[in-house]
Formats: sequence, structure tokens, C-alpha cells
Amino acid sequence: MPNETAPRQSTLACILTDVHFWVPVGVLIAGLLLLRSLS
Amino acid sequence: MQSTLTPALASSPQQTSRARKLQLLGILSGFTAGAWLGAAEAPTKLVSIGVSPLVISLIMVVGVFLARWSVPALILGTSSIRADVRRAPHLIIWAILAGCLWAVANTMTIFAIRDVGLSIAFPLWNSNSLLGILWGFLFFNELRQAGLRRWLGVLGGALIMCVGAALLAIASSSAAPVAHSYRGVWAALGAGVLWGTMYIPYRKAYLTGMNPLSFVTFFTFGELGMMSALAVSYLGLAPLWHQLQSARDVLFWLMLGGFIWVIGDLFQQYAAKYVGISRGIPLSNTNQLWGLLWGTLVFGELHGRGHSIYAQVIGGSLLMMAGVAAIAFSSATTSEQTRWKQAAHRESQRYNIAADYVEARMDGRQSASEAKPSRTAIDWLLVAAATAIFIYFGATARLPQIQLNWPAALTLSAASLALLIVCGITLHRTTRFH
Repeated sequence: MPNETAPRQSTLACILTDVHFWVPVGVLIAGLLLLRSLS
Repeated sequence: MQSTLTPALASSPQQTSRARKLQLLGILSGFTAGAWLGAAEAPTKLVSIGVSPLVISLIMVVGVFLARWSVPALILGTSSIRADVRRAPHLIIWAILAGCLWAVANTMTIFAIRDVGLSIAFPLWNSNSLLGILWGFLFFNELRQAGLRRWLGVLGGALIMCVGAALLAIASSSAAPVAHSYRGVWAALGAGVLWGTMYIPYRKAYLTGMNPLSFVTFFTFGELGMMSALAVSYLGLAPLWHQLQSARDVLFWLMLGGFIWVIGDLFQQYAAKYVGISRGIPLSNTNQLWGLLWGTLVFGELHGRGHSIYAQVIGGSLLMMAGVAAIAFSSATTSEQTRWKQAAHRESQRYNIAADYVEARMDGRQSASEAKPSRTAIDWLLVAAATAIFIYFGATARLPQIQLNWPAALTLSAASLALLIVCGITLHRTTRFH
């Protein structure tokens, strides 16, 4: 069952504070910049 | 936290036996993925037209898009996808993000091959498996409490595979242009980093319980959206349209390549789910070996080359097989799998997802609260539409004038098909495709 005892963050807040989100986002931005510099 | 989790995550003999079965299934899925991802190169070899590689990539992704919606609709039905999304809607963002990463990486490989040639580029981007091991360890508890033997097996196997891949790439490449070597090396390394990082969303989705068939349907929006944006921004809308028109005769072969690639990728997703990214990625990286088999046996790519080339091919293939064997024999121990479950528990707590759902899906089954997947008219409509599009482009396709070794093509096709059937049946019997 979902944990209902602890106060819950919104889904958006959970995503924005998740390192699993920011690592791929950072790599994607770096990739786009690299692609721009290569072309 | 550790003490409260331990009783719930402790393994009974039945659970251990089930976990072993799932590990074997993951390894089999990795092998099957390699065969089909390698076979996907075959239809693209039939195409020798003067259009931009970006356009070729874009057309393949259109085939991929069609397959990513029709195959899941055929296997489980879109009702199952909707149910998954209702339970873990946040994963749509990760699926789209992974698709964007894939498209940028794929574009970089085009620059890398152009600037340094396949022999240097392929081993560089194949290093994605090493990055996958790092992310798996850091974020998802993979290889934690795995013991020295398994660490050596996985890391050593991945490194041996990289060396084998380098030998194969050198052997299969022609004289490589080196005019912009730094640029090409950066592009290849960039592709490896992007692809290696793309597996973070994969693993996150599967630890959270999402079905691979659901994940790929959203992944493809990122893939097609980013690829279209890159093609338009690099070529411009009018030249892109002109090139698509001029490639009309070969659209079918490129879309077919995309379709075959999706079959391989689906098995790669199941490998990532059941053996983790640290083992799943290197296993599916055997696609290079299959690509080489298609190239040499069917298209005669190494015909007339010297003995040293054949020695490199045989040596590289043996090294890759040794690396694969090392990884395949380093399946996760009970203590490592307990750490995976802790990572899954963390995800279910963070995103408020029912623990029984996460646990059931990790175990390759549906939870008691889930409805049995069923197909509706929409699913059959999706399958019919995708089939009709393929039939239309197939009817208008030009038969390529190219010399093929048909017995070898049939043998490789039969081997790939046999793997598909065996792995498909095993997946169905063990997990009902969950």
C-alpha cells in the first residue's frame, strides 16, 4: 500500500528533487550543446 | 530503515527459485536483443541512395514509431498501457527523456562515423556499457553486496567486450577519414555517454513496476519528436521534404529496419528489467557481432580481404563471446537482489505507488488488484493501420539490385527467428510479458 502516514510532496516536486531526473536532463543538454558545436 | 525492510524483503526458497528463473530469462532476452538489433542493420544495407544520414535515421524512427505502438497493442493491448500510466504517470517524463537521449546519441554517431570512421567510433560509443554499470551501481543498488567474483565477471566481461568490439570494428571498417578526428572522437564519446545515461530511465521504470511494453510507447514520442526537430533544424523543412520524396522507393527498407530494431529493443528492455542495466546492456551489445555476421556472410563485406583481417574478426568475436559468458555467469546473488528490492521500495515510497504492485511487477507478474489485460477494437485498429502502412510502402518499394548470399541470409534469419520464438514463449510462460 502507498505510504499514507508521511506528508507527501506533489508528483512534480518529487520529480524536480529527484537526481534520477537531473542526471539525464544534464546529459541531454550537454549532448545538444556538443552536437551544436560539432556541426 | 534497513532493519524494517529486511523481514519484508527476505527470500524464501520459492522466491529464490523464481528469482533464478527471471535472471535466466533476462540473460536470454539480452542474447535475443543482440540478434535482432544486429539484424536491423540488414535492411539498411540494401539502401544506397544520396540522401542525408539524418533523413535515413528519421525514416527508420518512423518505422520504429509504428512498431512501438502496434506491437504492444498486439501483445497486451493498450488497456494495459493505460493502467500502467495511471499507476505511475511520472514515468512518462522519463520515457520521453530517454527517447530524446536516444535521438541525440544516434545523430552523434552519424558525425562520428563521418569524421573518424566506424573502427574508432564504435568502440568509443560501446563504452556505454561501462557507464551503465556505474549508473546501475550508484542509483539502483546493482552489484551491491555482489562479491568480488561477480564484480570481476561483470566489469571484466564488459571491458573484454569493448576490446573485442574494437577489433571487430577495425576489421569491418574501410579506410577511415581522419580529417576531423577530434570532432569525431568527441561525437562518439558523446553518443556513448548519452546512451549509457539513457538506461537510468529504463531501470527506474522497471524498478517502479512499469511494463516494458508500456514504457516504449512513450519513449517513442521523445525519439520521433527529437529526431524530427534535429532533422528540421539541420536540413530545413523544404530540403527535408525534398529528400524524403527522393527516398520514396526505399522508405520501406528503412522502416523495416526500424521495425526489426524495435523487436530487438523490446528484448533489451526485458533484459534491463530482469538482470539490470549493468548486465543487460553488455549482453545486448552483442548486436555488433550479429551485424558483422550479416555484413560478412550475407553482403560479402570482407570478401577478398587479407588473412590479418579475418584473424581480427575471429579474435574480436571470441573476445566478445568470452565477455558475454563472463557476464552471463555472474547473475545477481540473493543479497544483491535484496538490494534491488530496496531500490524499488525507495521508488514506491517516493512516488506513492502501491508496494504490492511494485513487488509483483519486479517478480514478473500482475498484482492481485490488477485487471487482466485485454485487447479492444482500438488495439486491432492500431495493428491494422501499422500493417496497412507497411504494406503500402512495401508495394511501392524498389527491389534493390544487390548481390546477396541467400542461404546465409536464410540461416541467420532462421536463427534470429528461433531466438525470438524461444525467448517469446519463455517470457510469456514466465511473466505473461510483464
